[in-house]
Amino acid sequence: MTTQSPYWNPRHETMGRDELEALQVRKLGNLLSWADAQVPYHSRRLRSAGVTPDSISSLDGLKRIPFMTRDEWMQGQMGHPPYGPILAAPQDAAIRYHLTSGTTGKAPIRVLDSMKDWEWIAEMWCYGFWGFGVRPADRVFFAFSYGTFVGFWGAHYACEKIGCLVLPGGNMTTEQRVNQILDMKATVVCSTPTYALRMAQEARLMGIDLAGGPVERVILSGEPAGSIPATKKLIEEQWGAKAGDTAGMTELGTIMMFECDHQPGGAHIIEDHYIEEVIDPDSGEAVGYGEPGERVVTSFGRGFIPVIRYRTRDLVLKVPGSNCACGRTFDIYDGGIRGRVDDMKLVRGTNVYPRAVEAIVREYEAIDEFQIHLYTADGIRDEIEVLVEIPDASVEAEPLCNDLAKTLADAHEGLRFGVKKVADETLPRFELKAKRVLDEREVVGGRGERKQA
Amino acid sequence: MKNAIGQELNPAQEDLIACYDQLARVLGERGDELAPFEQRNALKALAALWQIANGLDMDRGQLYDLGA
Repeated sequence: MTTQSPYWNPRHETMGRDELEALQVRKLGNLLSWADAQVPYHSRRLRSAGVTPDSISSLDGLKRIPFMTRDEWMQGQMGHPPYGPILAAPQDAAIRYHLTSGTTGKAPIRVLDSMKDWEWIAEMWCYGFWGFGVRPADRVFFAFSYGTFVGFWGAHYACEKIGCLVLPGGNMTTEQRVNQILDMKATVVCSTPTYALRMAQEARLMGIDLAGGPVERVILSGEPAGSIPATKKLIEEQWGAKAGDTAGMTELGTIMMFECDHQPGGAHIIEDHYIEEVIDPDSGEAVGYGEPGERVVTSFGRGFIPVIRYRTRDLVLKVPGSNCACGRTFDIYDGGIRGRVDDMKLVRGTNVYPRAVEAIVREYEAIDEFQIHLYTADGIRDEIEVLVEIPDASVEAEPLCNDLAKTLADAHEGLRFGVKKVADETLPRFELKAKRVLDEREVVGGRGERKQA
Repeated sequence: MKNAIGQELNPAQEDLIACYDQLARVLGERGDELAPFEQRNALKALAALWQIANGLDMDRGQLYDLGA
């Protein structure tokens, strides 16, 4: 029964929505009681909103609790270094320290977790790995640097818990990783989408056909690209394997969603451990199924740092779990994480989302790597160009660039995109989260934009 | 034995919860009598068993006071 079950926790993953909501309300009460008793910061916030732990009897009542924001968390850290006023347990109960990845350019958030929390962190990854078909007989390679960024640490422990053979791939060159995957006959590879493509590029240079190799599953995390259909298709073709998306965040310590092996075009939310709300980022009001918005998370799992109604800035679109045939009742984020609220660039009045650009660029298989470059022309005018590497000398670059420029413009209200071929291996490569947007504009304006003097 | 939502646990699940409760009791009441290898391995086991209790909807609170 154990290895045949498609679910890690069969009862929770298939329970009716009413039962699931009752479970969430009960866990929410426990969380609020814990946070209220242990964390004066939370206690003050709850009291100021007139909320007591026993006063919330439905998920609708959650709306009475104020949002937590990253800025608030950061300010707390600065006022009460190094962790801020949010720890619910004594520091000596912690066994691990981690940091956010720093890709936003802001100061990192620092977190602590205990032994029990780490078992839970791994538990969340178990939902995802098991749900995507990983079993004890698998050999799982982690293309991951094992540093202070929490990344795949929890996934590593999840695989040990499942009983897989874990192949840690820290401190290796890309070539060494490709060789290790083949030598050890890895059946599962874990990496960011960008780095999965990077390893495939390296394998080609080494004369290796990964698609004919032992890898059956590639598990992706760390970037929205894991659910971009064109990027995923490219990864699946180049690896000859199924690619499954997951998404997590350091503020939670682990993943909160995973793609099951039915690959419904999105990721199931682990709703017995989280409440995920979707709101309009401007008004803060809830939006319904099928409407895009910002995800707001409440986590039941990590007791060391209670996270209650945390505004993630992630853009998502929630659909019912019944959209997938796997039998889970957990709702789905269609298309995974669709980007960041603050990713959006305003270029001559048109909104440009890097994910949307990537979705188009990845349709062109001859393009190995790319960068979105924004700059100021003639001291006054915003311009956007996409720099591309096309290593195959037999491909005619000019028509490809022209076609890509037209497709990008058509998808962006006619906005003019430059597309330029650049020399091979001149664009940056990434192991963790890719930073493919280079914004060198002298003055930029608009909501969600950085401003420079 | 029923869980927090009134469902009956099966005998195997009941045994696992009994393990958890017994381990928590030993660590809480007599943890100081244990050798390092006994105490630390018991804590690690308790942290894992807590996931089972949680997954079975047996609300067992937090473990930080025990060191897990």
